[in-house]
Amino acid sequence: MNTLHQFKMMFLAQLKLTLREKQAWFWGIFFPVILMVIFMVIFSGNSDEEFKTEVAIVEPSPNPASEMMLSQISELPVIEVKSGKPVTRKKAEEWVKDQEVDAAIILPESAEASSVLLVVNKENEQGAAAQAVSGILDKFVQQANLLAAGASPKYDLQYESITSGTNELDYTDFLLTGMIALSIAQGGMFGMVDLVEMRRKGLIKRLRMTPANMGIFGLSDMVMRLLFSIVQIILLSLIGVLVFGANLYINTFTLIIVFLIGALSFNALGYFFSSFSKTTEAYMGVANICSFLMMFLSGVFFPIETMPEWIQPISAVLPLTYFADGLRESMVYETGIATASLWAGIAVMVIWGAVTFLLGSVLYKRKTIAADR
Amino acid sequence: MTVLEVRNLQKSFGSIKAVQDISFSVHAGEVFTIIGPNGAGKTTTLEMIEGLVSPDNGVIHFGELDWNKHAVSIKKKIGVQPQSSAMFDLLTPEENLNLFASFYDHARPTEEILEIVNLTEHRKNHVKKLSGGQRQRLAIGLALISDPEIIFLDEPTTGLDPQARRNIWDIILHLKELGKTTILTTHYMEEAEKLSDRVCIVDQGNVITLDSPSALIEKLTDEREIRLSFLDGEKAAEDADGFSKELASVSKTEREGAALKIWASKPEETLLDLFKFTKDKSYGVEQVSIREMSLEDVFIAFTGKEWRD
Ligand SMILES: Nc1ncnc2c1ncn2[C@@H]1O[C@H](COP(=O)(O)OP(=O)(O)OP(=O)(O)O)[C@@H](O)[C@H]1O
Ligand SMILES: [Mg+2]
Repeated sequence: MNTLHQFKMMFLAQLKLTLREKQAWFWGIFFPVILMVIFMVIFSGNSDEEFKTEVAIVEPSPNPASEMMLSQISELPVIEVKSGKPVTRKKAEEWVKDQEVDAAIILPESAEASSVLLVVNKENEQGAAAQAVSGILDKFVQQANLLAAGASPKYDLQYESITSGTNELDYTDFLLTGMIALSIAQGGMFGMVDLVEMRRKGLIKRLRMTPANMGIFGLSDMVMRLLFSIVQIILLSLIGVLVFGANLYINTFTLIIVFLIGALSFNALGYFFSSFSKTTEAYMGVANICSFLMMFLSGVFFPIETMPEWIQPISAVLPLTYFADGLRESMVYETGIATASLWAGIAVMVIWGAVTFLLGSVLYKRKTIAADR
Repeated sequence: MTVLEVRNLQKSFGSIKAVQDISFSVHAGEVFTIIGPNGAGKTTTLEMIEGLVSPDNGVIHFGELDWNKHAVSIKKKIGVQPQSSAMFDLLTPEENLNLFASFYDHARPTEEILEIVNLTEHRKNHVKKLSGGQRQRLAIGLALISDPEIIFLDEPTTGLDPQARRNIWDIILHLKELGKTTILTTHYMEEAEKLSDRVCIVDQGNVITLDSPSALIEKLTDEREIRLSFLDGEKAAEDADGFSKELASVSKTEREGAALKIWASKPEETLLDLFKFTKDKSYGVEQVSIREMSLEDVFIAFTGKEWRD
């Protein structure tokens, strides 16, 4: 009864502290939202600016129709044909996969065949280049229809995408899940600064002079942090889905597991930082470095595959890589919980969480004086 | 009855010997004051007693209880106002008190505490926005919320205005009426003299002396310092100086211009003789005083050092 009452009062205090702390709102809610909006606007490519795009052209069997199209495409100022002439379909698809070209255009096989095929890499399907090529080609096909004799439209554009790996999501989904992972991770890594502040002000010491149960205090703090993260998930998801048209297919159970493990691990990381930081500045320094590194090395904004080879091993050990992946699995692919790769990721996060928590506890114990008897 | 006994406490921080050898016992219902200059080891002593710092050596007993076996019971018995008042800055006084109240089974009602420390008016302001004195009063309130038997106040009045200081004196005297035991530290001799049943003077980690304020002063010499200043200038003072040196009870004199200081073991008689003399000579005298001995003199007598606030 008393324990329950204590928990209630401590939780209420934590809630009020969080609601009244403007910094928490700025860094936890406002900042991720702004960051996500900026990235989505820039990279989802709704811009009309002039640009050039490189494509591959495949002419399976030359015929009058395809010849005509080829010559016209070659004359379009914004489209540059790689190697200047048609290549084999195999070659073209390879280029698309390796992202050496933005798209491959496959011309009709005969004058009777009525379709032009556009092949793009799924990962930048929503990207500026792919959108533009498709748009240009669309217009071009319409023109071709008009030129072609006959009453009904003859050519239509077929759209197909190739993926270079398991990634089968568009950039909005990718960025949305990445941002959710990042903001929860940052919440954990930066949030524990409260602990440093409480220690510096002597509040921990003050609480230890009372019979207050510090375990309950820690628990109420943790529950508060998890709730805050849930608010982050919901808010970012709503903006992603409603404003930027992200598509989420959520496996709730997997999501809960990934969320809990991830959030706890990053809080453990923050706890570890707090155990050796004497001042808020020191803590913020460490947290900033780690968060900055992870932000760019963990595939939050761009897929890890697009990064230089030598960086990829670093990504492979960072917990945020797996947290972002786990969230993508559970929020975009609806992946069930019984997936080996998912559990491998969860294991990496658990290891990070457990090791940093233990290290932090040891450091705290070593410094704590008689207080805890 | 002894509620707290400490014996041979010692604590070093690296090469600094903060507490070298401190022993005392505190009786139920008394106000026990530890006084000493900055760095004397007052806070360190209190923190050892409060279970925050483990002593290098020595024993601490709360009656039957000691920290090794009865930590929780002791924590329920004591209320602490630390020297640096730590509380939740983004909560209000009321919320801070309510939170701390939840740590105890039998807490006093928050309104009562707010009333006692005179913060009812500010109960809904964030602590961040309170003045230093108001914070200090809240810190004392937090120490009282559990209705403790033994209250530790580490410099409760430092930095307060005279009104607020008197306010806190009233609180301490009220606690005494309720039969609570208070252990406090201070830099103000006047405060120690006014409030305490017993005073423990510490310096450089050692107990210099320990007794009731009046007993401490009585232990000092019965000599008093008389000060006079003469309206008729230096000449009159010189005459009077010569006269008083002849008196039996006077041990020493000091003259500075028209001002004269006389140390005498029977100050009233000496003054009577002096006034007879000045009347005969018809010298005008202004500003006559006998300076009472205070704890400050006790400190000076024991340490040979000036007392500095
Ligand atoms: N945690 C610590 N680490 C190192 N030295 C300390 C520590 N705490 C206290 N000291 C040193 O121990 C000595 C006694 O300090 P303490 O705080 O007990 O003095 P105090 O009598 O309370 O002084 P004040 O009147 O200024 O509050 C000082 O020299 C101080 O520098
Ligand atoms: Mg002190």
